[in-house]
Amino acid sequence: MILHNVRIAWKSLKRNRSLSVLIVAGIALGIAVSTTFATVRHSFAKDPIPGKSRGGLYYVRMDSWDPARPYPGPDATLPPTQLTYRDMAEIMKSDIPKRQSGTFKTALYVFPEDKTTQPFRENIRLVYSDFFPMFDVPFRYGSGWDKKGDAGPEQVVVLSEAMNDKLFGGGNSVGKTVRISDRDFRVVGVLAHWEPSVKVFDLTQFQIDTPENIYMPFNLLKPMQLRTFGNSDGWGSSGGQTGFDGFLQSETCWIQMWVELPDAASLAKYKDFLAAYVMEQKKHGRFQRPLNNRVSTIREWMKDQRVVPPETTAMLIVSLLFLAVCAVNLVGLLLGKFLARAGEVGVRRALGASRADIFLQHVVECELIGVVGGAIGLLLSFAALAALNAWLKTTVVNPRAAFFHLDVPMVLLSVGLSLAAGLAAGLYPAWRTCRLSPAVHLSLQ
Amino acid sequence: MLSMRNIRKIYRTDLIETHALHDVSVEVRAGEFVAVMGRSGSGKTTFLNIAGLLDTFDSGSYHLDGQDVSRLTDSEMSRIRNEKIGFIFQSFNLIPDLDVFDNVDVPLRYRRLPAKERRERIEKAVEMVGLLSRLRHLPAQLSGGQQQRVAIARVLAGEPRLILADEPTGNLDTLMSREVMDQLEKINEAGTTIVMVTHTPECASRASRQIHLLDGEIVDLAALPPEGPASRTVASLAASLR
Repeated sequence: MILHNVRIAWKSLKRNRSLSVLIVAGIALGIAVSTTFATVRHSFAKDPIPGKSRGGLYYVRMDSWDPARPYPGPDATLPPTQLTYRDMAEIMKSDIPKRQSGTFKTALYVFPEDKTTQPFRENIRLVYSDFFPMFDVPFRYGSGWDKKGDAGPEQVVVLSEAMNDKLFGGGNSVGKTVRISDRDFRVVGVLAHWEPSVKVFDLTQFQIDTPENIYMPFNLLKPMQLRTFGNSDGWGSSGGQTGFDGFLQSETCWIQMWVELPDAASLAKYKDFLAAYVMEQKKHGRFQRPLNNRVSTIREWMKDQRVVPPETTAMLIVSLLFLAVCAVNLVGLLLGKFLARAGEVGVRRALGASRADIFLQHVVECELIGVVGGAIGLLLSFAALAALNAWLKTTVVNPRAAFFHLDVPMVLLSVGLSLAAGLAAGLYPAWRTCRLSPAVHLSLQ
Repeated sequence: MLSMRNIRKIYRTDLIETHALHDVSVEVRAGEFVAVMGRSGSGKTTFLNIAGLLDTFDSGSYHLDGQDVSRLTDSEMSRIRNEKIGFIFQSFNLIPDLDVFDNVDVPLRYRRLPAKERRERIEKAVEMVGLLSRLRHLPAQLSGGQQQRVAIARVLAGEPRLILADEPTGNLDTLMSREVMDQLEKINEAGTTIVMVTHTPECASRASRQIHLLDGEIVDLAALPPEGPASRTVASLAASLR
């Protein structure tokens, strides 16, 4: 019966084309706007590492900031977003986490093997070997380095798929050498395409940048005297030391720290460990602010960093209200359309259609309008998102190809909104139409 | 088949009350062919709407096929209309978007019959009215007479016990009217009860019995008093109906 009703609805839409176009356009406009803004918000808010965003993987912060004033930011209760080098180095000694990695971004010149290609400066991420399994980083060839690579530190690198294409024309480059700065590095792994929704492992800046193309052992920072090309926040002196060592011993916060804690017990134990570390540091005159350690899930960390811009939530709400207004505006049109067919309804009632049959017939028609309008709205949304991505390229340093894109949940949301809008627009007209007595319907013939 | 006792129907607005039917009592036996006659506004259509469960009544009782219909729910009345009653309208009332096949299919769909049975019934009914070659034609592609035959096929496919026809020849020329009345006679001879509203004496003469409505009341023409101003008026009206 539903399919039969869809057929009737389709014929009805074709009967009065101009009115149908007007009604469908109303829904399409509402769906286009709401789907676009829902997708914009979703692009920021969606789970960057499915399965680990609500627990398991934690971002570590400790308040080593200036005792005279809180760490600057929109929320004065939060500690600095990153750790000092020496604090990171100390807490890395803990054996409580299943995995852990400090990380930061630097930039170095890469000298391609092909002498005809110009050297180029490339952002490089320094990580510990645990980084790759912690963030479920996929490999096409080879793998990350091992603990010996960390300890060495060995001169090894992992390349992104794009960098492997650029340096070696694709293919398996494991074992090959790439010259970075003044050193040769052996390629141990090539990543498969990896583009978490936001740059989850470093939310301190450029959250929607593409991940770095080269990864090397963290401990190379000392022999290569590498400095961060990301954010760094400092407040105190370096205690008399100068140069690179002075920087490492300073209160400058510039390292991101991640730990993997598989259960609540290890999480509690790790929090105790951090508290004990801070209390010990207080004895040496550091950490003079109140104890304020944070071991945050990815979701909590994203919230603190306001990864989802509040404007996107506001725009989503406004766009949903716009869709509701579109639907409400269509109530009158649909009522007029349905009552214009009162005679046909009377005939159907005379031939045995119950109120429920008539109601269902008209609701199906509304839903068909919703689906057709939704499909057109979805296409408009594609176009709007493409325009937003083009705009993003002009405003973000290293944007990904299509940060805003319709994925399966957004398409399903769009379908749901289309059906809801069709129902909202048509429920009252369908109810009114089915409530009229058959004799009245026939008299309107 | 149809038993109405003291049926009263009043249409009310804020300002006026219109007595459409006033203590109407009618008995129609199974297999009868009854013509209901009356001038415009006499209550014929109201009578037919109530008989066909398309409208409610204010007082009285109505039994259809032995069943008291006064307390039925809307869906129960819909089911009775679908299974026991067939309607034929003056303006044919075919659905313009649907071809002949689909128009005849409408009541069968609401009966939730399987597709195979529906197809068999439709083809048989359309063949009986001689329009099998027009199965995929839209109503607009048919003449008025053909459209009314499709409406008759729609009734036949449902195999109702009672047919209610409202001026079935009102929009047809003489030749077409005769064809339609021939069809109705054949259907009645096959055992189906027919109640037909008409103001055409020729059509009414095809029925086995005639009922006359005047200002919402059943009028027995033979029993009308011969004299008196009021009765003269009634008599003159009655004469116009003959």
